[in-house]
Amino acid sequence: MGRISAIGIDVGSTTAKIVGVDEGGELVWKYIEPAHPRVEEQVDRFLRKLEEENGPIDGIPIVATGYGRNLVHQATRKVTEITCHALGVFRQLGHGGTLIDIGGQDSKVIVIGPSGEVVDFAMNDKCAAGTGRFLENTAGRLMVKLDEMGQLALSSEEEVPISSTCTVFAESEIISMIAHGVRVEPILKGLHRSLVKRVVAMVRSVGLVPPLMLSGGVVKNPAIRKMIEEETGQKVTMPEHPQFMGAYGAALIALRGKRRTNA
Amino acid sequence: MLEIPGRKEICNKFREGGGRVAAVMPIHYPRELFRAFGVLPIEVWGPPGMDISHSAAHLQPYVCSMVHNMLAFLKTGGLDCADFIIVPHACDSLQGLGSLLVDFVRPPQPVFPLYMPRGRRPEDVEFFAQEFRKLYDWLSNLTGRRPSDEQLMESILMEERADKALAKLYDLRTEVSLSVRDFYRVVRTRQYFPAEEFVSFVERVIDEYSGNPPDGVPVIMSGIVPEPMEVLDEIQNLGGIVVGDDFACCGRRVYPAGSGEDPFIRMAWRIVHGPPDVTRGDLIEERFEHLMDKVKKTGAAGMIFYTVKFCEPELFDLPDMRRRLKEAGIPSVHVEVDINDPLSHQTITRIGAFLEVLI
Repeated sequence: MGRISAIGIDVGSTTAKIVGVDEGGELVWKYIEPAHPRVEEQVDRFLRKLEEENGPIDGIPIVATGYGRNLVHQATRKVTEITCHALGVFRQLGHGGTLIDIGGQDSKVIVIGPSGEVVDFAMNDKCAAGTGRFLENTAGRLMVKLDEMGQLALSSEEEVPISSTCTVFAESEIISMIAHGVRVEPILKGLHRSLVKRVVAMVRSVGLVPPLMLSGGVVKNPAIRKMIEEETGQKVTMPEHPQFMGAYGAALIALRGKRRTNA
Repeated sequence: MLEIPGRKEICNKFREGGGRVAAVMPIHYPRELFRAFGVLPIEVWGPPGMDISHSAAHLQPYVCSMVHNMLAFLKTGGLDCADFIIVPHACDSLQGLGSLLVDFVRPPQPVFPLYMPRGRRPEDVEFFAQEFRKLYDWLSNLTGRRPSDEQLMESILMEERADKALAKLYDLRTEVSLSVRDFYRVVRTRQYFPAEEFVSFVERVIDEYSGNPPDGVPVIMSGIVPEPMEVLDEIQNLGGIVVGDDFACCGRRVYPAGSGEDPFIRMAWRIVHGPPDVTRGDLIEERFEHLMDKVKKTGAAGMIFYTVKFCEPELFDLPDMRRRLKEAGIPSVHVEVDINDPLSHQTITRIGAFLEVLI
């Protein structure tokens, strides 16, 4: 058996991630792909890749998380992304606090206790507002690359308020603004603000326990990070691999289970 | 799954026996009064999964799916088997529905909007009793019957027995082997079984299913209605067991037995002194104490607030209630649903994560 002692798989709505941890719980291998509609096939491929690069995985415990977790038949256990994100971030940052995780389809605010336990949490509704999908949709409409949106938004002094928190209505509002000659950058800034306000509303609903932490794919966007700090008045910290925290937490749970079995 | 006759079956059977049927909207009303007139009240809680395009012309999109569905159900013939329609004023949306039915929709059945007091004072009991006297006269005109006080009292005693049976069923929750969903399917037969059938059915269930209760983290649920009922299966699959509830359609209507000789006062007193209910204007302090009492009695580890979207009365109390519970060391989670949607992944994840916290 190689260096990997436990595996975590996070099948999200936008991306699927796999993580391997060593006996000490350190993240030693990771891989990410856009989420595939045929989850089983994608997970098979992930595991083959892991084997190719790290050796056989027979007997290594696997925990699955994310919205597609129940389709990961290889998993010995399925755990919600709330618990997994909390554990992953706690292990990487070494403290509790309030974690904001903005994913492709949902956003979560998790209050993490001093031992890494989930104390309270809130999730966005089924609506895509307040999630990565909100930005993705509007990026398409504005013909801006997703990974450039944040920088462009921050480059603008001006900010146009977007009143709608609904993705579809926001798109209509943007079309109307473009028709009135409003520049793209102030619209982008307003869009980011709209998303952040939605997420911060969730933070307020559970009650902010500092420090504030961020994870999820959307945190690569610098405007989101900056605006969360502006809206909450709190400095934000981020783990080294913010997109992998769900999978990492899952792997840590798998490792914990293995230790219990071996004890 | 336990075999239980549905509303339609019970409705048809009752009518075949010469009885009449009243379709009753949520939440509180005097069952015994209807039965004294030979009328079986069958409650309408949605039903879920309706096409609300039939109600959209009359109701705004932000009116809750319960009220939308009641109207859509009526307009698509769902209430055709009913002889009367009763709309208690439980909330603004239901009051609106009552007015709509009387003034605009005008279904073939006569409609009675039932006004409710907001409180537990003696004058609230008197007000409600007066409403019941009006309902008595209304039913009298429509049926040609005038049940005597003795007949009313006989009917009251039967309903009190049924409520006692319901209370016993709740007390024995952790001593019967019914799945979470089957338990609530039994509880919900109180919404449409005649009281005498309900009593014998509950007794049979308690006998047949005693012992080996399902294992799981004990939780209490609160809200209007546990729909879609698959949510109860999911809770059990995720390692939980519902050991008590504060659902408007279930636990909030375990009315105490009354006393006194005036049947109208007795019927009114029973409802006014039932478990605290936000739609009846009870204070958050009373609701909190009631929930804490349930937590202590059942050993529940947490509360799941399972509300219908746009249900204002339920949502008014919620932030304060959750804060109070948190301060008392009882974790809670809030899940909002639309009763026309299938059970969503988000709902399952929220409940799953909450149970992981409790485990």
